[in-house]
Amino acid sequence: MKASFALPLLFAARLAGQETGIVYGSVTDSSGTALPRAFVRVTSRAGGVRVIATASTDAGGAYRFDSLPVGWLRIEAGSIGYRQASDTLILRAGDSTRVDLHLPPSAVLLSPTIVTAAKRSQLLDQAITSVVLLEQRQIAQQAVNRIDEAVDRAPGVQFISGQVNIRGSSGFVQGLGSRVLLLVDGVPANQGDRGGINWDVIPVDRVERVEVVKGAGSALYGSSAFGGVVNLITRELPEGWHGLMRATMGAYANPPHEVWRFRDFTGIQDGVDVAGSYGRDALRGGLSIGARHSDGYRQQDQADHWQVTGKGDWKPRPAIRVSLSAAWASDQYGVPEPWCGIGDCDDRGEANQPFKIDTANLGNRTRSDKGYLTALVTRTPSQRLTWLARASWLRTRFTDAYPKRQPPLGNADYAIANRYGVEGRLVSQPDSSRVVTAGVEGAIADVWSNIFSGDTAGGTGRHTQGEYAAYAEAEQILGPTRVTIGARSDFLVVDGGGFTAFVSPRVGAVWPTGNGSWRASVGRAFRAASLAERFVATSALSFQVIPNPSLTSEEGWSTELGRSWRGVSWLRGDAALFWTEARRLIEPVFTPAAQIQFQNLQRARLVGLDLSVTATPVTSRLSTTLAYQYLHARELQTDTAPQRPLLFRPRHLLTLSADYAVDRYSVGADFRYSSRYERGDPLFTQDERFSAQVLDLRAGWTNGSLDVRVKVANALNYIYNLAPRTLEPVRTLTLVAAYTR
Amino acid sequence: MTATRLGLVAVVLSLAGCGDGLTPHPICPAGFSGVCGTVTFRGALPDSTDAVYVVAYAAFPESAAALFTFQPFPPPSLALDSAARAAPQLYQLPLPNGTYHWVLAAWKKVGTLTPASADSLLREAGYYRDPADTTKAGVVAVSGATTGIDFLVDFTNMHPVSYYFPPLASRP
Repeated sequence: MKASFALPLLFAARLAGQETGIVYGSVTDSSGTALPRAFVRVTSRAGGVRVIATASTDAGGAYRFDSLPVGWLRIEAGSIGYRQASDTLILRAGDSTRVDLHLPPSAVLLSPTIVTAAKRSQLLDQAITSVVLLEQRQIAQQAVNRIDEAVDRAPGVQFISGQVNIRGSSGFVQGLGSRVLLLVDGVPANQGDRGGINWDVIPVDRVERVEVVKGAGSALYGSSAFGGVVNLITRELPEGWHGLMRATMGAYANPPHEVWRFRDFTGIQDGVDVAGSYGRDALRGGLSIGARHSDGYRQQDQADHWQVTGKGDWKPRPAIRVSLSAAWASDQYGVPEPWCGIGDCDDRGEANQPFKIDTANLGNRTRSDKGYLTALVTRTPSQRLTWLARASWLRTRFTDAYPKRQPPLGNADYAIANRYGVEGRLVSQPDSSRVVTAGVEGAIADVWSNIFSGDTAGGTGRHTQGEYAAYAEAEQILGPTRVTIGARSDFLVVDGGGFTAFVSPRVGAVWPTGNGSWRASVGRAFRAASLAERFVATSALSFQVIPNPSLTSEEGWSTELGRSWRGVSWLRGDAALFWTEARRLIEPVFTPAAQIQFQNLQRARLVGLDLSVTATPVTSRLSTTLAYQYLHARELQTDTAPQRPLLFRPRHLLTLSADYAVDRYSVGADFRYSSRYERGDPLFTQDERFSAQVLDLRAGWTNGSLDVRVKVANALNYIYNLAPRTLEPVRTLTLVAAYTR
Repeated sequence: MTATRLGLVAVVLSLAGCGDGLTPHPICPAGFSGVCGTVTFRGALPDSTDAVYVVAYAAFPESAAALFTFQPFPPPSLALDSAARAAPQLYQLPLPNGTYHWVLAAWKKVGTLTPASADSLLREAGYYRDPADTTKAGVVAVSGATTGIDFLVDFTNMHPVSYYFPPLASRP
């Protein structure tokens, strides 16, 4: 729009006095995904070029300026990670003009804000440990059904049959005893009985971003944060009415070899989520419901899922915020494990039938219900002080049906677990060079179960575990360096017995440099044995699993030396050397009496390199990422056993990603390589071990409120397993369409 | 820059070609001549176990002297650690084409095996049975790869050499 047109109009507007108009619109990335908290400013030429108004976009990427002076205006928008975009217009009196701006990605990334690494808001490059961020647009690009499918592609993170590993922390223990703590908006959400994680309790479209903190986090978070913390941060509730409908559908490839065929139709998946919210200045609320069905890609792999989530915010005063969150999800699914070995089914002369399960486990099903309720009060009485208090209740209930199981064990295992948590936290910034975070936290888990009863005869029992803690951490700026020091004391009580105390100190520092920063940290980590690990009494894969009430907590020291680098405009990188010395790691052990029992291993060492490089070579439309992790994970030598590799830890983990976006179209690909385990599973010693080589292809199209994504996961249809006799997903086509208003 | 991109593509392609993943693996591989099947274990592994061998006899041995006419030589042995015994275990017994009247698992105690020590060191631990009459040994006709020769190794019910010689009509 040329100025020659604007000047007469501006002149006319001035003649008309203080006449005004409205400008509103949205700020999105080049793929059309809304960008919340983007900076928007309006420049006028009246009286010289000057900024006359600024604003930030809301959670839906929308902005609005009322009462702008008529005439020539420039609307500019910017956001971290994107290049600025602008548009000009001539605003006439009484006009209401929409200006939508699309920001192309930028290689020069300013440091985003994170909230997990220090239990307070800080810039990413001020964290003393490695942190990976998954933004909402990255999650949307993945076209996933569950949030763990997106987290699985984060650098240095690997899921093994649903169990999350950060730097090889957890291995695979049938979902028991996660060494990664899950937070939902900062509230711990690991199960009260198994200590594992229900990833499907929060629908994908409710997650705004994911923060993955690598390395020991016990100094702030206590047990379960042994290997890292994953924080799912849900979307803010915007003003006004907003709605979202997200539909998914897809199909699974049939087995690539005729001898493995197990059904005469193509399996499909489909699902729908509907969300709505309404907000005014002081009060906002939202509700989401959804359902999903999958035929699965294996025999006995059908799954159905239902969920409902709700969230409400109340701001009685600007400095006070009260938040309520609740979610409930129910799953019913067949158990497609283990796959059929020789003679375990109609094996058709094959050593393995990976798409079929053994006849003895036909009919096995699980029903799993879970939900949580949290209340959070945050108050910021001054710029130097913020405090919060929260209470939470997490409930899980599952029933595993084994129709063919023989006595003395019954045909069903079940567990009902409650985890009640409270926390009070204070963040103080007495001056610009110091921040202190301190708090107290308590959690009680109670379990009523016939599988975690400790009774090998199959009886039912009840167990409780209490965890009470106090923590404090201070950050001090010393010249250019930020030094952090803190500690947490945890007290554990099992079944009302005596207290067991753990102190987890941590110290770290960040040194900024001209083109990035150095960081270093060392901290103590611990994890209390879950009630399931202590008291499990059942059978698994024809073996008796016996309890071990005398299990002690595992502990270790974790250190990291990291370097982030932004040397040139189109390239940035991050590298970290990490070293964890662990003692009394809890792992399932095959006893000489052919029983499985959780025991404390003597010592273990996990050493490695974590590297990620992001580049926008050639053009800003093309962004590429390389992430590599080298891991040396060993059980250390004892008097009776030589040093040997830890189970289920690949030495090499590589992720390559590339995304190309033009206007409203985007295409991308991810390749994940994970080397074969160095040590075979002790239960299936003769089974082959495989590397994982998975290529995902994806494409997207956005048109206003409609966002369509297509993904072909495991496009090469590479057939492999990571957990014993558990087939990883085959080639899967997924179509996701989301409509937002 | 072009070289960087080509290098990246080369890395992806080379990694993608690193392996084939899980592929069909016939119990009896193509071109194999002999019998294949599974053995299932029962009972605790006896003390002083040296090995458990799978062997075949073209004709049921009529005397202790015929004990060493088994095929193949050396005979394959079974994995005996507790995990391997917990599930059916695959075995492959390479044999020339022909008819075999006794396919069995022979438990051997630690010690040097000679015709004189055979009765104290060897036990029949299980054998392939006639599906139509499981009290009798099954006859196996080998013509190339012969599958489905499955049987039980029962450590709680083993028999010494002297149990069979002289052979009893009611026994295999």
